[in-house]
Parts: sequence; C-alpha cells; structure tokens
Amino acid sequence: MASAWARAYWRKIAWDFADLRLYLPVLGAVLILQGAGFALGVGLLFGQMPQAAAVFVVTGVPVINLITAGLIFEPELIAEQRIRGSYEFLQALPVPRSAAALAWYTVALLLALPAVAVTLVAGVARYGLHLTVSPMIAPAVALTCLTGVLMGLAIGHGISRPMVAELLSVTLIFVMFGFSPVAFPASQLPGWLGAVNEWLPFGSMATIVRGALTAGVVTALPRAYAVVAAWAAGSALIVAWAQGHRG
Amino acid sequence: MDSDGEGLFVADSVTKVYPNGIRANDGISLKVAPGEVYGLLGPNGAGKTTLVKQVIGLLKPTSGRITLGGVDLVADPAAARQLCSYLPQAQVPIDSFRAREAIVLCGRVRGGRRAAVERRADELVEALDIGEWRDKRGIGLSGGVKRLVGFAMVTVCPGRLVILDEPTNDVDPLRRRLLWEQVRALGDRGVAVLLVTHNVLEAEKAVDRLAVIDNGRLIAEGTPSAMKAHERGHLRLQLMIAPGHDAPGLPQFVRHSTLVGRNLLTVIDETDAVTGISWAEQAVAGGAAEEYALSAASLEDAYIELTGHDSEDDGGGGG
Repeated sequence: MASAWARAYWRKIAWDFADLRLYLPVLGAVLILQGAGFALGVGLLFGQMPQAAAVFVVTGVPVINLITAGLIFEPELIAEQRIRGSYEFLQALPVPRSAAALAWYTVALLLALPAVAVTLVAGVARYGLHLTVSPMIAPAVALTCLTGVLMGLAIGHGISRPMVAELLSVTLIFVMFGFSPVAFPASQLPGWLGAVNEWLPFGSMATIVRGALTAGVVTALPRAYAVVAAWAAGSALIVAWAQGHRG
Repeated sequence: MDSDGEGLFVADSVTKVYPNGIRANDGISLKVAPGEVYGLLGPNGAGKTTLVKQVIGLLKPTSGRITLGGVDLVADPAAARQLCSYLPQAQVPIDSFRAREAIVLCGRVRGGRRAAVERRADELVEALDIGEWRDKRGIGLSGGVKRLVGFAMVTVCPGRLVILDEPTNDVDPLRRRLLWEQVRALGDRGVAVLLVTHNVLEAEKAVDRLAVIDNGRLIAEGTPSAMKAHERGHLRLQLMIAPGHDAPGLPQFVRHSTLVGRNLLTVIDETDAVTGISWAEQAVAGGAAEEYALSAASLEDAYIELTGHDSEDDGGGGG
C-alpha cells in the first residue's frame, strides 16, 4: 500500500514536470526576477539603504519566492484545466489525492529554492549584510512553501468558477505585497491592519523565515509558526473537503 | 467479490438530483459485462456525462448503486479511479508532452510497469497510425491526433472499465476505423467498454449493446439489431432542400421526420416506396429539393424516433 502510494507520488512528480516543461524556464526566471528584482529594486529608493531596512527586505522577499508557485501558479493552472475541460481527466487519474498534493508541493519547492538562493545572495551582496543562517531555515522554508501550496490548492479546487479563483489568487498577492508586513515591520502599518495581520499568514511566514536567517531581529516565533501551521491545516481541510465533495 | 461477479459493471437505479433541483439521472439501471462494448446514446443534456461522472467518482448519486466486479464505486471513489479509465470529451492536457511520452507517462501513472507500458505504447502508436507524431509535442498536434493520443493514454494500461466519451471527435475517417478496431480489441482482452457518443452510425458498428438515455431516463436498451427491429419494414427517404427554399409539406405516408440544416430525413413504410419516390422527384423537379436518396432505415432512424433528435443535431457538448 505504502509502496503504491510512493510510486504514484514519484510518477505524479514526473507528470507535473513534463506538464510544466514548456513554462519552466519562464517560471524559474519570473521567480528569480521577482525576488531578486524586488530586493534590489527597493534599494533604488534610497541613496544609502538603512541596514535594518535592508535586513527586513532581503529576509522577507524569499517568502514571495516560496509561495508564488503554490498560491498563484497552481490556481491559475487549475482554472485553465477547468476552462479547457481537462480538469476531470486529471482528477480521474488513479493517484491518491495526498500523493498528488505532495508531488505538486515538491515541484513548487524545487522551483522556489533557486530563486530564494539568488534573492539572498543578491541582497547580501548589494547591501553588505551578514545573515545568521540557523538550521531552522529548513522547517521555515518547508512550512512556508507548504502553506502557499495548500492555500493555492484550496483556492483551485474549492472554487469551481475559474475567474473567481484567479481573481482571488491575484488579490492575495496584492495583499501580500502591499498590506502585509513581509518586507517591512508590522509597526509601519496602521494599528488595525497590524492587528489583522497577526492572524493572516504572510507576516508570520516572513517572521519564521527571517527568524531562521537572523539573530535577535524577530520575536514571537512560536506564535508565528502556529499561525502559519494553522493556515496550512485549514487549507488542507478545505482541499480534502473540495476533492472529497462529490456534488 | 459478490454476486455481481468478476468485472461486471452494474448501475442499479442510479438517480442524481443536483442541488438546483435538476434531475439529471432518474433511476438508470444497466449492466456491462467484461469484454462487452456498450454504447450510451442520447441527446445533449440527456444525463450521459452525469452518469459517467458518478461512475468515476467525481459525482455522488443521490440514490442507487454503482459496482464493478462487486466493488462499490460510490463508497470507494479511489477504487473507481483505479478500476476505470476515462477519456473525456474535451482534449487531454498534453501541450508540453511528446505524444509517445504522454502515453507512457499515463500508463505509468495508472500503475503499469515501464517495459510493458512502453511496449504497449509502441503497439498503440503503430495501430492508430500516429507514428509520424510520436515525438512531437502536444501543442503542435491537430485535434484529431490529440484525440488519438488521448485514446492511447487511456487504454495503454486500461482499467477493468474503459469509458470513452466521443473518442472519434476530430479524427479522420481512416484513423477512425483504426480506433474502432482498438475499441474492439479492448473488448477482446476482457475489458468492459462504456462508449458515450452522439454518433449513432458509428456506434452501430462498434457496440455489442447500447442504451438510449433521454431526459435522465433510460428509454431503450438492446443490441443494435434489436433496436433496429422497430424500423423493420421502413425506409429512409432523405431530401436535400434547395438553398432559399422551405422544406416541402410532408405527405401523410411519412411516419416521422427531422430537419437537420437543409437535410430532411423522413421514414416511410416499404409499401409507400413508389409513392415516396414520386413525391421526392416532384420536389426535385419543382426546385424545392436538389436531390433525394432512399435507403434502408437505420439505427439512427430508431434513435430519432425514440428521442426526437437527430444524432448530428446533438454534436458537441456533454449530455
């Protein structure tokens, strides 16, 4: 049983990579440009970027790298499958739902990691930062990417109208870029928005990634892990419901 | 296994009522034996696709049972996906895949061993005569070739029940014949085939038995010969209406008729053949029709009588 699940998982990874093959170079380039471009571009606003600000930007932007494939690309792909009528063919393949989700998570993580590395290297070189990378980088990166993937799957499978799913995923990106303390401290936000972000995942994702890349910069790490994990769990429940719900 | 036996597909009183109150399936019961090619015919919106989605576990019946070889497909949708292979009416998503690669990967995802899947993929590529596209990417393939690749993907490592929804859409006539040969070959290998189609003429040659569904109900079932028995002693008289003319008024001897575009299909008794020819010749001579043809009544005529729809009229869109 476990070996059948593992075989399905590996074969679905091969399927996903083959399916994305035409778009992989563009996808990879977009992620790298998005991360490194944002990290370096913000510096252009300043003559001399304050070190504290540079640390926030460089350690926050990898979150964008980590969740874009899951939160943006996946709902778009599912919406396209629904529009083109191939969604049911894919859903009828004999791959356990958990194996299919984990396969897509693996693909999203492999896509994101090079972009994260380029973002960090470019940011460190540009601003002359010294980051303290702890072993917690592994769970922080893994959980952040997983949460993005599960949220994307929840949107893609949970919302049957492709246009609505696409709009929601795009809206979330705007929320993340403009209204979440990912690349700046929460104290910069109006009080009410800061309070809302205490319960949204993006600021907490940045906190756990930043916590693994710096020493003494962030506080309340356990709470941030709990918030992100709760979003992952909630999204997983929605995915399970949406894929198990049969009209 | 239970009394349903090894490989027998059974839909028993399947009813599906959507939340908006639409009764898409209404007590449908049918059985497909291993090795049998079973046609599911019906006009758009008849409930064919709804039934298929319940078989593969994407929808849940409001009531009724669906089993395959004794396995309850409603209670165990994961088993349904394992035991059934499904080719939907829409094209398979293979833009990034090379044709043979897509077939092999699908066989692997369906649990086949590499060597066996590759050997079978090569057999199918040859049997369907798509060798010249075997290493071409899906994005560059015509609709017909994509359809054939999709068929090969679904049948390279088939489940015990293969469901084909309009498998010949966009396929050229020569390769259609090859595809039907492979459908028959599936049956010969003991696979049960559920063929959903609007194309009654093709179904007539390919299926062992068929059912006609209309308004969610199964309204007729039997072998093509048995279904055609209703039309024994009848003839089809077909008129091509001239552009700019209305169809001529129907004489009393016409049993039933359908107008598809400019094609007026009528069914008459054999005893009215001479009168019918005379009426058709008058229509041609008067300029109302361009030509006419008289032939034996077919399964399509039986279908039209049952449903009030012409099969070509139903092309496109799910049922």
